[in-house]
Amino acid sequence: MKAYIIRRLLLIVPTFVGISLISFCVIQLAPGSPVSFKLLGMQGSMQADANTQKIIEDTTRAYGLDKPIPEQYVLWLGRLVRLDFGTSFKDQRPVRDKLFEALPITIELNVISIFLIYILSIPLGIYSSTHTRSVSDNVLTVILFVLYSLPSFFVAMLLILYLGGGEYLDWFPVYGTSSLAAESWPWWKRLADHVWHIALPVFCLTYGGLAGLSRYARAGMIETIRQDYIRTARAYGFSERVVVLRYALRNSLIPILTLLGTLLPAMIGGSVIIERIFSIPGMGRLTFDAILARDYTTVMGALAMSAFLTLIGLLVTDVLYAVVDPRIKYD
Amino acid sequence: MTRAMNQAGTHRKESYWRLVWGQFRKNRLAMAALGVLALLAVVAVAAPVLANDVPLYMIKSGRSYWFPNLITYPSLTAENFYRSASRWEPGADEYALRTPIPFSPINQTLPDKKRPPGAKHWLGADGTGRSVAARLIWGTRISLTIGFVSAGIAVVIGMVVGALAGYYGRWVDTVALRVIEVVICFPSFFLILALMAFLPPSIYNVMVVIGLTGWTGIARLVRGEFLKLRESEFALAARATGMGDARIIFRHLLPNALAPVLVSATFGVAGAILTESALSFLGFGVPAPTASWGELLYQSQRLVSSGVWWLVVFPGAAIFITVTCFNLVGEGLRDAIDPRLRQ
Amino acid sequence: MRISVMRLGIVVAVVALGLAGCGGPGTEPEPGQGEGGGPSAGTLGGPGPAVSSEPVDGDWLVGDLPAEMESLNPFTSTDLYSSSINGLIIERLLDRDNETLELEPKIAESWTISEDKLTYTFTMRRDVTFSDGAPLTAHDVKFSFDKLMDPTTDAPHARNYYQDVTSCEAVDDYTVRFTCNQPYFKHLTMLGGLEIIPEHIYGTGDFNNHPNNRNPIGSGPYILERWDTGKQVVLVRNENYWGEKPHVLRRVYKVITNADAAFQELARHGLDVMDPLSMTEELWTTRATAASFEAEFNKFTYTYPGYRYIGWNMRRPKFADKRVRRALTMLLDRETIRRELMYGLAAITTGCFFVDEPEYNRDIIPWPFDPEGAAALLDEAGWTDTDGDGLRDKGGEPFRFELQFTASLPIHQQTATVFQEELAAAGIEMSIRELEWASLLQNVQELEFDAIMMGWSVGPDPDPYQVWHSSQAVKRGSNHVGFVNAEADEILEKARLEFDRDARIRMYHRFHEILHEEQPYTFLFCRKALVAVDKRFQNTKVYPYGMDSLEWWVPAAQQRYTGE
Repeated sequence: MKAYIIRRLLLIVPTFVGISLISFCVIQLAPGSPVSFKLLGMQGSMQADANTQKIIEDTTRAYGLDKPIPEQYVLWLGRLVRLDFGTSFKDQRPVRDKLFEALPITIELNVISIFLIYILSIPLGIYSSTHTRSVSDNVLTVILFVLYSLPSFFVAMLLILYLGGGEYLDWFPVYGTSSLAAESWPWWKRLADHVWHIALPVFCLTYGGLAGLSRYARAGMIETIRQDYIRTARAYGFSERVVVLRYALRNSLIPILTLLGTLLPAMIGGSVIIERIFSIPGMGRLTFDAILARDYTTVMGALAMSAFLTLIGLLVTDVLYAVVDPRIKYD
Repeated sequence: MTRAMNQAGTHRKESYWRLVWGQFRKNRLAMAALGVLALLAVVAVAAPVLANDVPLYMIKSGRSYWFPNLITYPSLTAENFYRSASRWEPGADEYALRTPIPFSPINQTLPDKKRPPGAKHWLGADGTGRSVAARLIWGTRISLTIGFVSAGIAVVIGMVVGALAGYYGRWVDTVALRVIEVVICFPSFFLILALMAFLPPSIYNVMVVIGLTGWTGIARLVRGEFLKLRESEFALAARATGMGDARIIFRHLLPNALAPVLVSATFGVAGAILTESALSFLGFGVPAPTASWGELLYQSQRLVSSGVWWLVVFPGAAIFITVTCFNLVGEGLRDAIDPRLRQ
Repeated sequence: MRISVMRLGIVVAVVALGLAGCGGPGTEPEPGQGEGGGPSAGTLGGPGPAVSSEPVDGDWLVGDLPAEMESLNPFTSTDLYSSSINGLIIERLLDRDNETLELEPKIAESWTISEDKLTYTFTMRRDVTFSDGAPLTAHDVKFSFDKLMDPTTDAPHARNYYQDVTSCEAVDDYTVRFTCNQPYFKHLTMLGGLEIIPEHIYGTGDFNNHPNNRNPIGSGPYILERWDTGKQVVLVRNENYWGEKPHVLRRVYKVITNADAAFQELARHGLDVMDPLSMTEELWTTRATAASFEAEFNKFTYTYPGYRYIGWNMRRPKFADKRVRRALTMLLDRETIRRELMYGLAAITTGCFFVDEPEYNRDIIPWPFDPEGAAALLDEAGWTDTDGDGLRDKGGEPFRFELQFTASLPIHQQTATVFQEELAAAGIEMSIRELEWASLLQNVQELEFDAIMMGWSVGPDPDPYQVWHSSQAVKRGSNHVGFVNAEADEILEKARLEFDRDARIRMYHRFHEILHEEQPYTFLFCRKALVAVDKRFQNTKVYPYGMDSLEWWVPAAQQRYTGE
């Protein structure tokens, strides 16, 4: 087991190199460059003045973009190993600072949502698998599918409109992650304020995932309950509760756990939208804006960082996998 | 499954699926869902005769035309009728038999913008005065295609990679897992953005990109199942009889791993439809003026504060019906495949 | 060309940038420049209640930031909001009068221009201090100029404006002299618009990544108190300000990236004013018309100094004929789009000048929406359907083209689809390609487009040379449509050397006519800025380039925020 984990850790290296290489190539190949972006202005309209060739060359050199692309990649990788992400083309700040500002809130939101999704959907899945085709199973299914069918950006706007003050209910704040005056408050009040602020974004990240995961849980349970050993367990006269929770659940968890690793990056993608709508300065927004601005260094840093975190997520899944299913061999 | 294996002869494949179909038919709910999906498919195919600005039958300038919305008449083409049909009103000696929704999905009548459901537009009009009903009907085509094609791409890649990794293990598994990891870790929005920038806008690019970034879940699922299944009695038995790897994988193991894949794929179809609407939100959806359910939902987000409910209720209901039906069919199929339930 | 048009009042960022020329970065909701005809600025909500007596100090002004700026370095940052905030903190040699838009003394109390128009000498006030108490001298001006021109400074966009300025010297502590290598009527505007930063702060360390990038120091009426990334920026009044102090003691900018959320916050009085870039026409005509809202906010509109257009790449044979270009303009129903899709909150423009400026030729009437006239023009130009496929063609080539634009605002796509339908009926097939901004820029620079829909922002003392002179019709030049016209070239060259504005105006009126005749662009709209201000603020006036919140004040009895 220990050897397996060590080998698993080492395998991060090739993956990481693969990711960095691909993302480097894609951003280099993407049309548009940070130089023209800086020179010509921003989204939507342009500055009128023709740029002298000299200014373009100077800027290209200042950004280190005059070197051959392979050299740029090697230089970047070399810095990365020393945890130096370079400085942003956009504001000349170290990319590391920008990442560390944006990371915590995104991780927090996603970890909470994933936790909630699992906590809610596994019991829901078990319930519907043991009550298949009953009225309550059908009602539950319909509700979950309705939730699933509503895109998060729409639900978010609805919540902001009806629960965020204005003409309707004034229950939740609609932007940011804490009140502006929160700093001087005692910790418990700050915590409550924070929870109050992230309630809507977390809801939006969570509700859509419930249908999928509880459906997988339900499918897995039904599958497992039909296995011979469950029949055997029943035959031994164990109560249904024991059979389900003690024997069936463990095995049905395997496919669900597999999903954990894939859920995380999908949710980070979803964060782009939710962070935008709720004015949260997180990774999704940072990465998206950096891509649009062709801020190569920030894009690379953000990709490397989220890839690294996702890899850790996958690692955890694999280890959990090994714990849950002893039949899997590790050689 | 063991029974299926014992059956010899050329008819085996056919009879296997007939068996599955026989099982499936007993599930009334799944059959109903299949019926609804078939209906949606019909709507998608029949869109030109359901919602069109070109009539079903018409008399124009002394000539009569049957189904000009299906048949291209050179004389109509020459007068550029097809691009401007919405502007034509039959004159005194002319006649037009309109389709049930007499609008094409791209006819814009600006004064009708945000018009609530009523006599003129049964399901209301959108932000530029286009018929929501027409856009919904034509959007069925686009959205179902996006859903099917991208989920199809994802399922095929996912099953092949997952099966190979799970069955062979060792270095095949290692390489496959590395590839999966790279794809998982590579944020799909980034890839989509880059590809959208390179490629001319088209719905096929949307489909391919969603498919190419969406297969990893299925691959891991299949791999997990294979890890279990290859140690199972019937796999060992099959191997003992000297059966080839390909046959074992595709004939015996894959059907067993199909259950979770089908459930996953049904979500994949709906997920692709929703992803498309999220792309619209970021400005990278189907190119204008193509109609899709996601595009309508995106419009609704913008107009939510003006109370334009019909832009969310109808496409939302369409997505809900689709995802629910796919799921019921998926589960029905799983039950039908499961040999333990077979009489 | 970076002179502040006005004292960057409100959060109204666009105003801040109405820097000189047809230029200055715009923002996401692209400014549409100018035209319309008649004064476009007006009050919708009526004048504020007549509580006014003498202005008093006190209260805060709370606004929103629709996008957070990356840095507050006045030279290296490119975004709108940093210019807007820096405009309250950092000052320039000259200012502009809100009403007349004439340049007027600020840090420089007077200036002289040499006979050959090459040397500019500014005499500075002696009582100006930076907010940390240090005096502002000619050495700081020279330092600021040299820093801007230093090739290692990440400010190519700003440096671009000063290419003709060869040197800057501090003659004595309070006299500074600039030398240029050729005469140009805008040199005064540009030199007067140089932001002056203290040498003793910015003189040491890495300028591009300077610690004070998050804490700019200047001589202006406000000081940055705090900047909580992702949350808020707070400015407090500079109590030691050398000039006339504003009445509002504190300004808070809350970072709210969602327009509907910002509106919600405004309606519940979490904001006193909402950035016009967040206020969509949709919100303005629906929720902002509620009686409860009208009762508590004054609503103002003015025209954004900028315009949108569809540019025809005249290097493509099909767009080389001006009859074709005019026919295309006549196939776009601008009036219906303006009325129905923009809720009437925009004006149709016919040229490249700002409507409220005298350079704009008001005698020109926009080409009407006239499909029949357009068809006749196309027939005349030889574009007829010869092969019976319904599409017009010429020389075997069917009339097909692609329109490129960014998806930043719904109105862009809506305009395009309306146009597309009309063109189809006229036998022309237009496909739509929405791109993100960087990719569109790339295509524009490389001249790889048939037609583009984009925007220019404009400002006082316009100089259309960069956009329209034939010398700029090259890759990476601003004349991306390839407009080449001998008479226009001559006007543009002469106007640059013409220091008398009235003479320039006459020349530009003729230039405007040429543009109208030639239709290198189909000029579209200039949008209205929509501003709602809490009613307790007094003296909220609309000027040609926006509003000036430095003039605002709140009667003592109505002040909402007290204390520090």
